[in-house]
Amino acid sequence: MRSDHSPTLNVLSETAYAEYGSALEMLAACKAANKPTHAYGYFEHAKDEYNHTGAFLSMLSTRSQIVPCNTARQLRFNSSSVITKGYVDSEGYLIENLNIKDFIAFVYTNELLAKSSFEKILKLVGPSSIDGETISGIMRDELRHHGFAEEHFLHYYPALQPWQLRFYRIRETIKNKSRKLIRQNVEFLEKIFKPLYSLMSYLVARLVLAVNLDVFKRDGKNLLDIPTKSIL
Amino acid sequence: MFIGITGYNHESSVALVDRNGRLIDYYREESLSRIKGDKSFPKRALSRIIKANNITFDDIERIAFYERPLSSFLYPIKVAAKYLPESLGLLEHQFRNFKKSSVSCFLDLASKFSGLEKKLIYSDHHLSHTLTSLAYSDKHTELCSVVVDGFGDRSTTSISHVIDPLNIKELWSTDYPLSIGLFYSCITDFLGFAINEGEYKVMGLAAFGQPNNKYKKILSKIFYWDSQKKRLFADMDYFSYHISVTDSYSKKLKNLLGEPRNPFRSLFPDDQDFQNYADIAKAAQDITVEILCKIFEHAHSLTSCRRFLFSGGVAMNSASIETLAELNFVDQLIIPPSPGDAGAAIGSAYYAYLKSNISTKILVKPSLFPSKYNIKEEDLKVEKIISKNFTIISEGLEESLEKAAELISQGEVVGTIIKNNETGPRALGNRSLICNGVDHDAVKKLNTVIKKRSPFRPTAPAMKLTTAKKHYKLTSAVMDSYKSMSATCNCLPENESHKFPVTHIDGTARLQIVESCSFLDLLLDKLKPFGIEIVANSSLNVSGDPTCYDLIDGLMVCARTPLKYLITDLGLLEKKITNES
Ligand SMILES: [Fe+2]
Ligand SMILES: [Fe+2]
Ligand SMILES: [Fe+2]
Repeated sequence: MRSDHSPTLNVLSETAYAEYGSALEMLAACKAANKPTHAYGYFEHAKDEYNHTGAFLSMLSTRSQIVPCNTARQLRFNSSSVITKGYVDSEGYLIENLNIKDFIAFVYTNELLAKSSFEKILKLVGPSSIDGETISGIMRDELRHHGFAEEHFLHYYPALQPWQLRFYRIRETIKNKSRKLIRQNVEFLEKIFKPLYSLMSYLVARLVLAVNLDVFKRDGKNLLDIPTKSIL
Repeated sequence: MFIGITGYNHESSVALVDRNGRLIDYYREESLSRIKGDKSFPKRALSRIIKANNITFDDIERIAFYERPLSSFLYPIKVAAKYLPESLGLLEHQFRNFKKSSVSCFLDLASKFSGLEKKLIYSDHHLSHTLTSLAYSDKHTELCSVVVDGFGDRSTTSISHVIDPLNIKELWSTDYPLSIGLFYSCITDFLGFAINEGEYKVMGLAAFGQPNNKYKKILSKIFYWDSQKKRLFADMDYFSYHISVTDSYSKKLKNLLGEPRNPFRSLFPDDQDFQNYADIAKAAQDITVEILCKIFEHAHSLTSCRRFLFSGGVAMNSASIETLAELNFVDQLIIPPSPGDAGAAIGSAYYAYLKSNISTKILVKPSLFPSKYNIKEEDLKVEKIISKNFTIISEGLEESLEKAAELISQGEVVGTIIKNNETGPRALGNRSLICNGVDHDAVKKLNTVIKKRSPFRPTAPAMKLTTAKKHYKLTSAVMDSYKSMSATCNCLPENESHKFPVTHIDGTARLQIVESCSFLDLLLDKLKPFGIEIVANSSLNVSGDPTCYDLIDGLMVCARTPLKYLITDLGLLEKKITNES
């Protein structure tokens, strides 16, 4: 996403995607659960996250009505961008790829980590505004989710001590920090290599231009006779 | 067993055809991932199809991918390369995303379903579309197939002569970037709607536009059918989709049509800009229909056929179907329920079947509800969700239908999660929101309160054939398409149907004639004593989400919207009133 919109719009848009990603993760967990109580817990959590998504989208919508059309077009919510933006891993949902203990630990820690980002958004929209109240409500939800996850964790893994949960939290914090660092590095390398990428693309494109694709035309051919293994 | 797969460039899906030529299962990846328009490799759909049908890798003879991957990767690059340096951004994007292109199908199969990649074969994109529509036809010889979409392999429009299922000759095609589908998408984008999602909105909006308005004249000069050369013409200076990652139209088009619509601004019939945008939609719609008529004429002259198959994304333009069906050389027009790329998995599964060594090959007409679903997978899991949030007010289908009919007669909206799923994109009763189709308040509640749909989008009516004949002008050439809501039709002159809330502003309706013994058919039987013969039918989902797949999805719609009633395989559920709701 280009960063030529106001920072508030960008933050609202990205947060909506993040909440949407959480909703999908929780829904997937609900469907994968093998106990009715777990399914119920994840169902309620998913519902909250969907509602949070809706809340951020509505804040985004009111503010985007007055921006230039091109900016607004870039801010239009597109469900499948939740994957391209990395809020849902292209390899699948967490519940599909993690063991259940790691999954709950992830939920536990992430709910708390989200708190600091919400505080920043609260500042952006103004804490005493209607939107500010909505965000405070969302923050209360997130704390509740965190509480549930903790309870759940200790209930099913009683051998685990609070210090171990803290360990999980530190681990996630480090992971988040390193993700940020990697992203910054990638952005830096991107700047350096951009001309090289462009040059390569240019050269390959010139080459492709010379390829004659007309031989693959189908005019008059029986389409069932084209070789089944041909990728052209 | 034979599998067909779509994905990467467009919505992904998987279909399974057995050795008797029967479609036995089908899933769209978006139904399972819950991400609308999901085009990633359909790993969930493929796993599910293997598990639900109890098959092993050995049972699978061939897997057909629905297009030629290198062709669909190289062709746009070759076109963009002609526009260097302007197109450099797009080219770079394409090269960097090489791994996300359909060339990766082989690798994805190898890494996630190791062993299956050896069974992978490739069909032509437009052949996959043709075979999808052919499966839904009662006759399989001497047909003409017209495929019109955004882009596939290399072409965007094609005409083929189906001599028999094993002899399908392509006679004419239009190459990318000239594309009716992408022209329509470009206008969709200009009008502030999302490409691949908002095209229905443009179609609905068009009904409010004036015919032959100034935009029609303007657009007809840059996008038209060249009658002499028998080909499509587009002045590409006005479009950008072939040279840009983000823009579908150029500055020149803006100079021509004025300011594009901000997607976040409201679009109500009373709004200042409404008429202007409706006129642009109308112009694009009319130009599309006119060009389609020309293509059909050309198709008829090339093949002399009077029976046509119509598929590709543009065949989802239900408002164009009636005009095509009424062309004097068209005796029959078959449109598959899912004519777009998601449905092409069905055609590619049939391609794998046709390329097998089975001696007699028959294509058995697929069901309108092919996606297997069994409540037994979920009934224990949902126990607490239901007991906390719902009351089961009736059990058993018969009793639930009676109770649902009573509620509908009282103006309520009822959701359905019953048995198998539809092919999509239309919900035909098993994953629907239903209310009394002549009750203005109920339809309004369904539309605006529950679905939050744009006010200019019509809701479709569903009824039995006898009722349809009383109110609507049916066209015999597309009788089958009414079963899958693929065509609109006009109200009979001076008929009361003009005032039904399910009739659009232009006096048309995208009606569904219910299949006998389907869930909606049974419900209509129960509604008869209440004097209700027409129901409004809309897909069960929250705006922006895919149509529900399983019971949990349905319960979630109830939890997120004011929808109170859900008829399910477990019985009729009523949402408990809480402080929140
Ligand atoms: Fe949240
Ligand atoms: Fe949360
Ligand atoms: Fe297509």
